[in-house]
Amino acid sequence: MQEWVEGGRVSRRVVLRALGLLGVSAAAAPFLAGGPGTASGQGNLGSLQPEEPVDATLKRLFGGRPIKDGSSVIKMDLPLIAENGAVVPITVEVQSPMTPTNYVKSIYIISDRNRRPMNARFSLTPEMGAAAIGANLRLNETGDVRAIAELNDGTLLMAKREVKVTVGGCGG
Amino acid sequence: MLRPGTVFGGGIVFAALLSAACAQTDKASTAGLPPAPWISRAIPEGKGEVKTQPDGKKMQVRYKRAPFAGVPQDWSDYRTYAYDDTRPAPPVSKAPMTQVKGDPARGRRLFLSRAQGPCTGCHLIPGADVWPAGNIGPDLSTYGDRNLPDEFIFTQLYDSRNFFPHTTMPPWGTTGVFKPEELVHIVAFLKTLKGPVPPEKDPDRNPDTRAKPVGFGDNLDPTNNPAVLLAEGAMAVWSKKGPAGKACADCHAGGPEKSMKEAATRYPKYVKAYQRVMSIEDFLTVHAPETTGLQMLSQSADNLNMTMLVKMQSNGMPLKVDVTSPEAKGAYERGRASFFKRVGQRNHACADCHTKGAGRGSDKFLGGRLLADVEVGLTKHFPLWRTSQGQVWDMRKRMQWCMTPLGMNMLPADAVEYAELELYLTAFDNGKEMSVPGIRH
Amino acid sequence: MAEIGKVRIRIPSNIKRGDVVRVRSLVIHPMEIVQRRDGKPVDKNYLFIHKVMVEYNGREILQADTTQSISENPFFSFTFKPTEPGMLRITFLDTHGGKYEGTAEIKFT
Repeated sequence: MQEWVEGGRVSRRVVLRALGLLGVSAAAAPFLAGGPGTASGQGNLGSLQPEEPVDATLKRLFGGRPIKDGSSVIKMDLPLIAENGAVVPITVEVQSPMTPTNYVKSIYIISDRNRRPMNARFSLTPEMGAAAIGANLRLNETGDVRAIAELNDGTLLMAKREVKVTVGGCGG
Repeated sequence: MLRPGTVFGGGIVFAALLSAACAQTDKASTAGLPPAPWISRAIPEGKGEVKTQPDGKKMQVRYKRAPFAGVPQDWSDYRTYAYDDTRPAPPVSKAPMTQVKGDPARGRRLFLSRAQGPCTGCHLIPGADVWPAGNIGPDLSTYGDRNLPDEFIFTQLYDSRNFFPHTTMPPWGTTGVFKPEELVHIVAFLKTLKGPVPPEKDPDRNPDTRAKPVGFGDNLDPTNNPAVLLAEGAMAVWSKKGPAGKACADCHAGGPEKSMKEAATRYPKYVKAYQRVMSIEDFLTVHAPETTGLQMLSQSADNLNMTMLVKMQSNGMPLKVDVTSPEAKGAYERGRASFFKRVGQRNHACADCHTKGAGRGSDKFLGGRLLADVEVGLTKHFPLWRTSQGQVWDMRKRMQWCMTPLGMNMLPADAVEYAELELYLTAFDNGKEMSVPGIRH
Repeated sequence: MAEIGKVRIRIPSNIKRGDVVRVRSLVIHPMEIVQRRDGKPVDKNYLFIHKVMVEYNGREILQADTTQSISENPFFSFTFKPTEPGMLRITFLDTHGGKYEGTAEIKFT
């Protein structure tokens, strides 16, 4: 069994100064917003984004670029049946040497049936040694979850798995 | 696989328990009970008070957050676990089949209706939209092939006890969950369920072949279970001086690690000073204000976090609750009687879901939930983190929730009835290692 | 929630130079979900973590852009390959300007 130690008892909350907040906002805008020219440049980072079907999400993120089948190099681990859609653990590992000339640049996690399918984008560096990330997702309902890996040469690879979300046992 | 003997054996055990419960009602039943009703020291939402609304309707005060919020019914008409509630179970009744024409499509919608059953919580029927069905009751996929008379099916739905006195199926008509005309539609639907059943495309749809849930990983890993972090937050309370000028730390030397080591393995236990069985949670509600002057109401964050902190000092140690002293034995017997008592609008007992046998829930799916067996242990990981709620729940809130969708008013979280039921349940875990806080859906 | 912003990081207890280290982290945060009124989603400035930054000795290792589809009390795991001892820092930013940090010291055995 793996033994673990804990760090990270540091914890503090600081409110960013207006300048810093705007900086973050601008950087995040292409990702969070519906597209160029939409709202989040106003520093209102949490503002409601429009509902989006998954095809539109893929188009927004990758344009018309081809997405290849990556099921042989992307290992996705997540429960086939989620006892609870509020916490669905996912890990994604992409086979890659992770050298400065050959590495996975980004991993996107996309769940087809969420109001906004784009869940998270991880921007990786060769220093990670492996292209492996994990998170807990909220899934609205039963549907596919996709992991899309973008390599440093721009190649896009995708794997997907269906997750069935259960609801409570009795009544209500 | 169920063997016929299992059913028979279960029946005998059940009968024996009933007679045991009856035999000791005059003498043993009061040993360990406080002389007067316990005054709840729970937060207001946890007290279970029934208040009369401005429009005259009665309503139980419930927790403000999901899943309790939005449960508008009052179930004062149905019996609860309260020891002074001596009402009998709803009497078995019959009704004539109403003369409406059964509509199978409406019947199917009613069969799936989460607001009423859902019938699919226990029974499988065909259809890709049936998710997730349970398998506590029989698979009804070819029920129509049985060619049963309409009146029989109707009465079976209306109150199954007419034919099966010990059934776990709720008396849907007798207690008014379904109206007679609704049951007529369900009868019409069930008659349409004819074989052969097409091959199952999705093994998970059928609860008999569905993959078992994998759980939520290491419950003691603070990066996996937020409750561990919340419990550690109780350290601040541990050393905080209350209005009485004292902190927990002033009397319990060496920190929780030393002073609370193994303490929780003996809870719930009969506490002489308060003349009742108490869990750690119950004890804190009176002990904290009496020593430090700090309030630690049942279901408050301080109470839950402190309970976890205390219980964590016994992790890995076997439970050893007392069920042999006269007071504990009396409490245990009452707890056992509660476990088998049928309560609420659905006339269910804990045993329906958490014991093995035909038509019982252990190791079977209730909807998408795999139900646990009381003998395997339901208690050693409480309080736990509920991923679906994003909250810490102790066993009491879990009990209170079981009661709400099953159609009965909950008792106060720190009620003696719950404490003794908890003692009965915990006795099954004697010898098993504690692991607090747990993590569940 | 009084505990908002509490961060916990876990790393293996034995790390040798050249190991690919698995790191687990959790931050207590509500990750407010979209509210609905009469079935329609409400537009407001929702409170959720939208960015996670991982640095080692000041160098960026990993960044994540996150949304309300990440669970309450977000958990993240990742790998990294330390070539020298040092300090791993994880910073979480939320949409209301909150910044939460955790650190873990990496030593070789």
